[in-house]
Amino acid sequence: MSEWDIAVERTINNNVPRVHKILSQYSYIQDLAKELRKAKLEVLNNLQKYVEQTMESVKRMGGNAYYATNVYEAREIIAKIVGKNKIVVFGKSMVAYEMRLREYLKELGNEVWETDLGEFLIQLANEPPSHIIAPAIHMTRERVAKLLREKLGVEVSENATHEELVAIVRKFLREKFVNADVGITGANAIAADTGSIILVENEGNIRMSTVLPSVHIAVAGVEKIVPTFYHALLEATVQAAYAGLYPPTYINLTSGPSSTGDIEMKRVSPAHGPKEFHLVLLDNGRVKISQDKVLKEVLLCIRCGRCHLHCPVYRVLGVNWGVPPFTGPMGAMWSYIVYGDTKPATLCTHSGNCKEVCPMEINIPGVLEKIKWIANDKERNKT
Amino acid sequence: MVLGKLIFQNLQKFGFPYPIDKSVCTSWAKDIPKGGETIIYTSCMYQTASLSDIFSKFIPYAEKLSSLSALAKLVKPSKEEIDRAYRILQNISLMLKRRGVQFGYLYESEPYSGAILLELGYLDEFAEYAKIVTDFFKQKGIKRIITVDPHTHNALLRYKEFTNFDVDVVSYFELLGNVKARMQGEIVVHDSCLYSRFLGKREVYRSLLNSSGVKLVEDELVTEKDTSYCCGGPIKPVNRELSEKIARLRVEQLKRLSENIVVVCPMCYANLSKYHKILDFAEVVE
Repeated sequence: MSEWDIAVERTINNNVPRVHKILSQYSYIQDLAKELRKAKLEVLNNLQKYVEQTMESVKRMGGNAYYATNVYEAREIIAKIVGKNKIVVFGKSMVAYEMRLREYLKELGNEVWETDLGEFLIQLANEPPSHIIAPAIHMTRERVAKLLREKLGVEVSENATHEELVAIVRKFLREKFVNADVGITGANAIAADTGSIILVENEGNIRMSTVLPSVHIAVAGVEKIVPTFYHALLEATVQAAYAGLYPPTYINLTSGPSSTGDIEMKRVSPAHGPKEFHLVLLDNGRVKISQDKVLKEVLLCIRCGRCHLHCPVYRVLGVNWGVPPFTGPMGAMWSYIVYGDTKPATLCTHSGNCKEVCPMEINIPGVLEKIKWIANDKERNKT
Repeated sequence: MVLGKLIFQNLQKFGFPYPIDKSVCTSWAKDIPKGGETIIYTSCMYQTASLSDIFSKFIPYAEKLSSLSALAKLVKPSKEEIDRAYRILQNISLMLKRRGVQFGYLYESEPYSGAILLELGYLDEFAEYAKIVTDFFKQKGIKRIITVDPHTHNALLRYKEFTNFDVDVVSYFELLGNVKARMQGEIVVHDSCLYSRFLGKREVYRSLLNSSGVKLVEDELVTEKDTSYCCGGPIKPVNRELSEKIARLRVEQLKRLSENIVVVCPMCYANLSKYHKILDFAEVVE
């Protein structure tokens, strides 16, 4: 068995039964998922209106909101906010990866660290993520031990336990959190009515990235907008459950910069948390797709990563299926949306497991069939 | 030339996605009336499933292949494979007859369903082909089609998206009522992806098997509706290596539960039987 086979089998054995159990134990979750799907469709059908409302709401809360049509614009906006010679901690964001933001900020002379454990490991290894919520699932425990020994120069026994490996990273990153100037995160959802962003996690790294540095920048695709604060909470709940960690250890909610009203109840900012909050909304192909009846379903994806672990093609190909960070069945869709790459879709064997397990009931094989058709059409026009 | 166009041309020329001797498709049927309002429809899937492997190897050279129609006489399933396919079709036919189901067969004029065009995403070619086949069925006065495999069943149901297709489509096992197992002991069912997750028929053949006298071994990670893997067959024309890896992996999973692996699709049989002895539903029951 290859390292990938071992690692992915352990992951499936750990995760799939756990999600089954969560969904049977907390029976309300499937109803919430249906409600969320409706709310997200409402946004996709009126995207421009919701983008405007979101940006107004963020500004009303004392934050700054930006709209970027492509990754170049988004990177420039963020680079201006960050500046040079700063310590930047990343909370874990697929959109940041989509923009190659970490490398970009490093090139500008900043010290940049991924703080999600999986992202940190692939940063050290200089490898692409293999799964959207567990980016280092292709690494076995043994491989992680070797990596930390080599890259951090610390003593790690070959037989180090999972706990010991996590402790090494915790110690290393603690100092980065404390000294960071800027925290950059994604967003699981953005509430249009309040301008709040919500982030689900278990490690605590996002909480620290959003609170300790004096500047917090959130980057997210426009599809992350939901109509209300209530729906943002739904998204956090549903995402965590279908990802297999329920209840999530932390749900982080940010509405503008930190503030206090403790002196004469006059609201002033900042308090202990960041003095600046910035939200960068990214289009990068999403708006166009929202107008296509079949393909718009892609934008409903809440990035729980469940479809990966039920897909035979992902089981065999892993990170080699899709354009990172977009791997697996959802990645075969997103590789086309974001990078215009139709090839991953052509490798779909339409087992249909993905559609069976998708909390947003996205007809993933149907979407991939359309992308195959687009690929065939392109091929036809070439000849 | 685009593969879809080539397949489409072959369909017009040979009545099949690749050159083939049509007698291979029809020789199983002996005493079934020709035509009629209700027909059994094989789409030549069982008869040619074992050839899919050979032809997927030729896909990179597909254009040359289409001009080599003489090849049709040379490339035939092995005697063992064809005998097995015929036995399955004959048993399906017999099971239906014993239950009083009346049906005809189109013999050499039976068209292929177009499933491969659909599954490779050649939707324009599929739409055009669906219209041709629909007209043909209309002209023959066909009102009801009994399918024997999931790919054909699925393709026919999808015709409605592209043309005015109003023929009733039913799978043979939906007409059986109950069956008796020809074997004893434990079996593991490898579901057809299409039957299980696209056509809502998973419980139909499972409950038939469950009450037939055999015991189905189930596992949360291997045989559930949302965890049972594909055989890898549909991806074979695109990526053989991937297809074979999926098939090997699937057989390993199934073997852990039972040595007796039962399938409900000729393509699943073709892909999995390279790695283990596989039985078809219609070989297991009567």
